[in-house]
Amino acid sequence: MIKNCRKYLTFGWVLLLLYACSDTEAPDKPFGFEKPEHFPEPTYTFENNPVTKAGFELGKKLFFDPMLSRDNSVSCNNCHQQSRAFADTPLHATSIGIDNQFGIRNAPSMANMAFMQEFFWDGGVTHLDFVPINAIESDIEMGESLANVVEKLNNDEEYPALFQAAFGVSEITSPFMLHALSQFTAMMVSANSTYDKYVLEGQPLTELEMAGMNLFQQKCAACHQGELFTDFSHRNNGISSVFGDEGWATITEDPSDIGKFKVPSLRNVEITAPYMHNARFNTLEEVLGHYDGNMVDSPSLDPMFKNGGEVVGIPMTEEEKVQIIAFLKTLTDHDFISNPLFRNND
Amino acid sequence: MKFLKFTAILSLTIFLWSCDNDDSPSPEETGSFQVYFDNKVGSNEVNLTAPGDKNYQYETANGEKFNVSMLGYYVSKIVLEGPNGEYYADEMDASAADSKGYYHVMEGESATANIQIENVPAGTYDRVTFTIGVEEDGVQEGAAGGVLDPANGGWFWNWNAGYIGFAIEGTAENSQQEYVDWGNGASTEEKTFALHVGGWKDVADNENFVNNVRTVTLDFGTTVTVGDGLSPMAHVVTDVLKMFDATNIDFNTTYSVHAPKAGAPFANVLEQIFVVHHVHQSTSSHD
Repeated sequence: MIKNCRKYLTFGWVLLLLYACSDTEAPDKPFGFEKPEHFPEPTYTFENNPVTKAGFELGKKLFFDPMLSRDNSVSCNNCHQQSRAFADTPLHATSIGIDNQFGIRNAPSMANMAFMQEFFWDGGVTHLDFVPINAIESDIEMGESLANVVEKLNNDEEYPALFQAAFGVSEITSPFMLHALSQFTAMMVSANSTYDKYVLEGQPLTELEMAGMNLFQQKCAACHQGELFTDFSHRNNGISSVFGDEGWATITEDPSDIGKFKVPSLRNVEITAPYMHNARFNTLEEVLGHYDGNMVDSPSLDPMFKNGGEVVGIPMTEEEKVQIIAFLKTLTDHDFISNPLFRNND
Repeated sequence: MKFLKFTAILSLTIFLWSCDNDDSPSPEETGSFQVYFDNKVGSNEVNLTAPGDKNYQYETANGEKFNVSMLGYYVSKIVLEGPNGEYYADEMDASAADSKGYYHVMEGESATANIQIENVPAGTYDRVTFTIGVEEDGVQEGAAGGVLDPANGGWFWNWNAGYIGFAIEGTAENSQQEYVDWGNGASTEEKTFALHVGGWKDVADNENFVNNVRTVTLDFGTTVTVGDGLSPMAHVVTDVLKMFDATNIDFNTTYSVHAPKAGAPFANVLEQIFVVHHVHQSTSSHD
C-alpha cells in the first residue's frame, strides 16, 4: 500500500514538475551525481544518500584525513591517489598501511565505483557504503575501529558542524560518516577519455588505436566488456597455480573458486600499474605477454583460456600487442586525474 | 498549456486524495502489541558466565557440557495476523538515521527482550511471524543506523559484508579452542566456543551462497485482542538447547563458526528453537 502510494505520489510530482518547467527557466544545474550518457545505471543507492555539495566536501575531508587510522598516519588517499585514477602509486606495489606494514593486494582504482556491483579483489563487499570499514578496521591498513573513528570525529573541533550542515545531525554516527565518504567516492566518475570522445562525439581514433580496439573486441572483451570494461565476474587468469590469497573462494567458501579474482575495469589502466591483485606485472607489455603463452594451469583456471586440456591463453603477435596497448591508452581520462573537484582543499 | 496545468493539478489532487483514503479507510482504533523474548537452556534460565568459566551449568542430550557467555539475535519484519484477516506488518526502514523494524535482542540486556509494536489495528490476533537476521533488502540499502550501526554494537561482518543474525558464545568441556593472546589486553580463553550465524546472499544460479536468514511463524493457540487501552503480549521462549540437540553439536569439532556455510546447520534449525509459551491479554498481568 505504501509502495503504491509512493508510485502515485511520484507520478503526481512528475506532473507538478512538468507544470513548473513549462513556465520557468531551467535553474542552474544542481551539484550532484550525473550518469554519463553511455554508462549503465549506477548501482549506488543515491535515493538513500543524495549527493550534496556539503556532503561531498565532508566526504572529501574524511578521505584525506589520517584521523581515520589508529595513529593518525594513514588516510584513504595514502593508497588511492588522484594522479593514478585513485589507485596506489607504482612504488607501492602492494599498499603500505599502519606501522609501515605491507598489504597483500594492489590497491585498485576507485574510478566509477558508483557503477560496480562488488568491491575489493575478492568481491566480498556488495555496497559502496561498507567499503571504508574494511580499510579502517584492517590490522594492516588503518588499524582502527569504526567506533573509535566516530568518537574522534565527535570530539573534533570541525567535524560536528560539518555533519550538522551536511546531514542535519547533532551527533555523528557511522552511517553518516560512511554516507559522506560514499558521496565523495561515488562522484569519481571517469568517462572523458579519448575513447569516450570517440564513442560520444565521434572524435576519431588513430589507425593504430582503431586496430587495437578491433583486436580488443575480439581478444579481451569477453571479460572486459561494456563501457566499464568488466563483466563483474570472478576468474582465475592463470597468474599462478598456488594461491596464498584465495580470492573469491574466501567469499563463496568453495574450493573450486580458489584463485579467482574480480575482473577489474580497464579504464585508466595505463596509469594504474602494477597489475593483477598481487601486483605481479609492472607493464602492460608484461600483462599481454602473460596472456600470450605464459599462463599457468590450475583447477580453477578459466576454461576460456583452454582448448581441451591445453592452456592456450590469448595468442597475439607482437604487432597486435602494440595495437592493443595503443587502444588501452585511449582509456586514460586526463580530465579525471586533474579535476580540481577531487583535490585536497587543506 | 492551461489545459495541461489544469490536468496536472487535478491529477495531483486526485492522487493525493486517493492515497489519503487508501492509507486510512476509517479512523480506526489501534493499540500496541508486545513480543517478549525469553531465552532458555532447556528448562533453565540463561545465566551468563565469563568466557572460560569451566563450572558447567548445562548439558546437551549427547552429554556435551557447556556455559553461555553471550547470546543474541536480530529480530525483524514482525507481522501480526488474526483469524478474521487481521494483518499488521511492523514498519521497516533501514536508513542512516535509524533502523526501524530491526531489533537486537541481547541476553543480559532486559530492555532488548521486550519489543513493543505500536499502532496495531484493533482486532483479534492469533499468530506472529518474524525474521531472525537481516535480509538482502536490509543489507543492500547501505549504511544503516540504530541497532544496525556497526560502530554502536551492530553485528556486522566486514569481510563478507552483511549482518550476523544469531550468535551464541560460551565455554564447552570438549571445545578444542586454545588460549590466544591478541595483544592490547584482548584474548580468547581456552575451551570457549563462538557460533556466529550470518550470510544473506540468495543467488538462484549459484549454490555457493548460503542464506542463513530464517522466518519463523508461531501460533498463539488462542486469540488476544488489541484495542484502545489493551496491550497484549506474546511470551516467546527461545530454547538454545534445542539448537544444540537438533544439530547434535560436537564441541570437539564445532567451536568456531564465523562464515555462512559453517553456520548453515544452525540456521536450518532456527525455526525449531522458538515457541510461544503463552500469551497475556494485558501486559500488566505478566509477572
